[in-house]
Amino acid sequence: MNLLEIENLHVSAQGKEILKGLSLVVREGEVHAIMGPNGSGKSTLSYTLAGREGYEITAGHIIYRGEDLTLLAPEERAAKGMFLALQYPVEIPGVTTMNFLKAALNAQRRARGEKELDAISVLRLVRETAASLNIPEDMLRRALNVGFSGGEKKRLEILQMALFKPVLAILDETDSGLDIDALKLVADGVNRLRAPQRAMLVITHYQRLLNYIVPDRVHVMAQGRIVAEGGRELAHELEAKGYAGFVKDAA
Amino acid sequence: MSVAAVKNALPESFVPEPADVLPAQGAWLEERRARAMQVFQAGGIPHRRVEEWKYSDLRNALEAERGGTNEVVVLPSRDPFATIAGPRLVLRDGSFDTPRVRVPDNVEVRDLATLGDDAPDWIGRSLGCVLSNGMGQASLAFMRGGAAVRIGRGTEVTIHLRFLQQIEISHARVLIVVEEGASLLLLESHARMRGVMNLGLEILLQPNARVTHVRLADAAPEAVLVEEIGVTAARDAHYRAHLPQAGARLSRLELRTKLEGAGAEAALDGAGVLCGRLHADVTTHVEHVAGKTASRQLFKYIAGGHSRAVYQGRISVHKGADGSDSRQTAKAILTGERAEADLKPELEILADDVKCAHGAAVGDLDRDSLFYLRARGIPEAEARELLLRAFLEEAVAEITNENIRSIVWNFVENYLPKALDEVT
Repeated sequence: MNLLEIENLHVSAQGKEILKGLSLVVREGEVHAIMGPNGSGKSTLSYTLAGREGYEITAGHIIYRGEDLTLLAPEERAAKGMFLALQYPVEIPGVTTMNFLKAALNAQRRARGEKELDAISVLRLVRETAASLNIPEDMLRRALNVGFSGGEKKRLEILQMALFKPVLAILDETDSGLDIDALKLVADGVNRLRAPQRAMLVITHYQRLLNYIVPDRVHVMAQGRIVAEGGRELAHELEAKGYAGFVKDAA
Repeated sequence: MSVAAVKNALPESFVPEPADVLPAQGAWLEERRARAMQVFQAGGIPHRRVEEWKYSDLRNALEAERGGTNEVVVLPSRDPFATIAGPRLVLRDGSFDTPRVRVPDNVEVRDLATLGDDAPDWIGRSLGCVLSNGMGQASLAFMRGGAAVRIGRGTEVTIHLRFLQQIEISHARVLIVVEEGASLLLLESHARMRGVMNLGLEILLQPNARVTHVRLADAAPEAVLVEEIGVTAARDAHYRAHLPQAGARLSRLELRTKLEGAGAEAALDGAGVLCGRLHADVTTHVEHVAGKTASRQLFKYIAGGHSRAVYQGRISVHKGADGSDSRQTAKAILTGERAEADLKPELEILADDVKCAHGAAVGDLDRDSLFYLRARGIPEAEARELLLRAFLEEAVAEITNENIRSIVWNFVENYLPKALDEVT
C-alpha cells in the first residue's frame, strides 16, 4: 500500500518557489534515499512534510496514509507516525531531555487515544532504549541538546525515533557533521529500526551514508524536482559522475 | 518641617496621617529624619519626566483613582515561607509587630519605634546612611516604624521579614547589619497588600559576610509598592538576591549595591510574570567601588495582556576598581499584544582592565524550538508553555537551596496561567 504519495508538489518559501513539481511514492516499509546538491530543495521537502510554518504549497498534493497531509498540524502528523530527524536538532535550555521525551511520548499517545505512561514507565522505557543505543544516562538529565556534540545530538534523534516508533521516518541529512565513527553508530541505530511496517526517507548530499543505510530506491533531486530514479546502484553512479550530469539533464 | 506642613503639597495617597508617622525619637534620629525630609522635598515624588522613573510614573499612579477595582476574591495570603524555620519579624502597617520574637544568641533585633538617645552604636552608625535617593529618604522621613537586626560575628541564621498592610499608606524602614563572617538567609515576603507602601531596606555586609535575600511580594492589582534596597558589601562579602516579580498597579524595586572591598560579590536575579495591566520595575545600580569585585544579574520577564515590564540596570565601575567583573542580562517575552517591556542596561566604566558583559532582548519564543517540539508531537499551546517555563526557570536556577528554589518557582508559576491566557 502507498504510505506517502506526493504529486506535482510546488512549494514556495519567502516568496520564492523551491519545489517545482516534485512527485514521489513511498510504500510501507520501503527505504528511499533522496540525494541532491545544495539548494535542490531537500530540506524544503522535509520541512513541508513535517508541516513547518512558512512553506506554502501552491500546487499539487501530499497524501499520507490515505489522507491529505497538508490539513494536519505538525503535532498531528507526529501522532500519526511521521518523524522528522533534523539536520540540526534544536538546543532547548531549561527543558531536560527526559522531561521532553516524556511530554512528547505522552502527547502522541494522548492524540492517538492511548493511555498515557506514568513517570516510572517512561523512565524505564527511555533508559532501556537509551542503553541499546549507547546513550549515557547523564545525557538524559541534561537540557535538551544543550552542549551535546554533533554525534550526541544525532543519537538523541535516533533515540526518539526508537521511542516514537514512527511509520514514516524522514532523516534530513543525518550524516552532516558526523565523523565516520559517529556516522556508523547512527546508521547502526537506524538499521536496527528498519521494519516491515516502517518506511524511511533518507535525505542526503553524500553517497557515504548509503553505504551503511542501504536504500530500496534512490531518487536524485535537482532544482526542486526528482530528475532521476533507480535502485541502490544509482547512488554509486552519482558518486562516480557527480551531480553535474543530472542537474544539466534537468535544466 | 512637619508632616502636616508638607501634606498639602503632595498627593493624599502618599503622605500618611500624622498619627501614622513615628513621633520624635532620639535627637540623632530626628535630625536624620529632618534631613531626609529636606532631600525628599527637593525632588518631590518622582514621575515619568524624571529619567530614572521614566517607565514608572509614581506621581500618576498615586493621583489616579484607586480602590475602584472590582476584584472580589482576595487570594489568601499564606506565608510562602511558612515551612521554613527561623525567627519571624512581622511589620504590620509599617510597625514592628513582634517585640517578643525569640532570636538565637548573637542576633539582636530592635524596634525602630522605641529607639531613644541611647540607641546602640550599630544602629546609630548605619540607619539612614546607605539609602540616599528620594524615595529612600521619604521612607525614613515618613516612617511609621520598622526594625533593626544585627547578626553577630560568625553567626549563621535564617530570618523572616513579613510585611502585612491593611491601612492605606505606610512608610517603613529596616536596617540589617551582618557582621564579619556571619551568614544570613533573609526571607522577605509581602502578604497580598493594597494601598501604598514605601519601604526602605538597608543591608550592610561586613568583611566575609554572606547574605542570601529572597523576596516574594504579592500585591493587589491596585496596590502601589515602592521598595528601595541599599546594600554595602565589604571585603569578600557576598550578597545574593532572588527577586521574582508579580507586579502591581505600580511596583518598583530599586536596588543599589556598593561593592566596597576587594573580593565582594553581588548576584541578583529574578523571574517576572505579569498579566492584565500590572507593572513591575526592577531598577538596579551596582557600583564596583573596589577592584577585584564581581557582579552578575539575570532578569527575565513574561509580559501578557497590557502589562509593562521594566528593567533598568546601571553598572558603575569606579576609578581604580581594576580587575572587576560584571555581567548583566535582561530578557523579556511579550505574550500579550499590548504588553510592553523596557529593558535598559547602562555601563559606566572609569577603570582599566575590567570585564563587562551586558545584554538585553525583547522577543517572542524561538520559532525553531517551537517547531521542534511540535514536530515531536507536543501540541502548540503545550509547547509554548514548556518553552516559557524553561525561559523563566533560568532566572531561578541559581537558587542553591532546593526548598527555597521550589517555593520561589511556585510563586512565579502561580502567575503563569493568567499571563498565558491573555495570548491573543
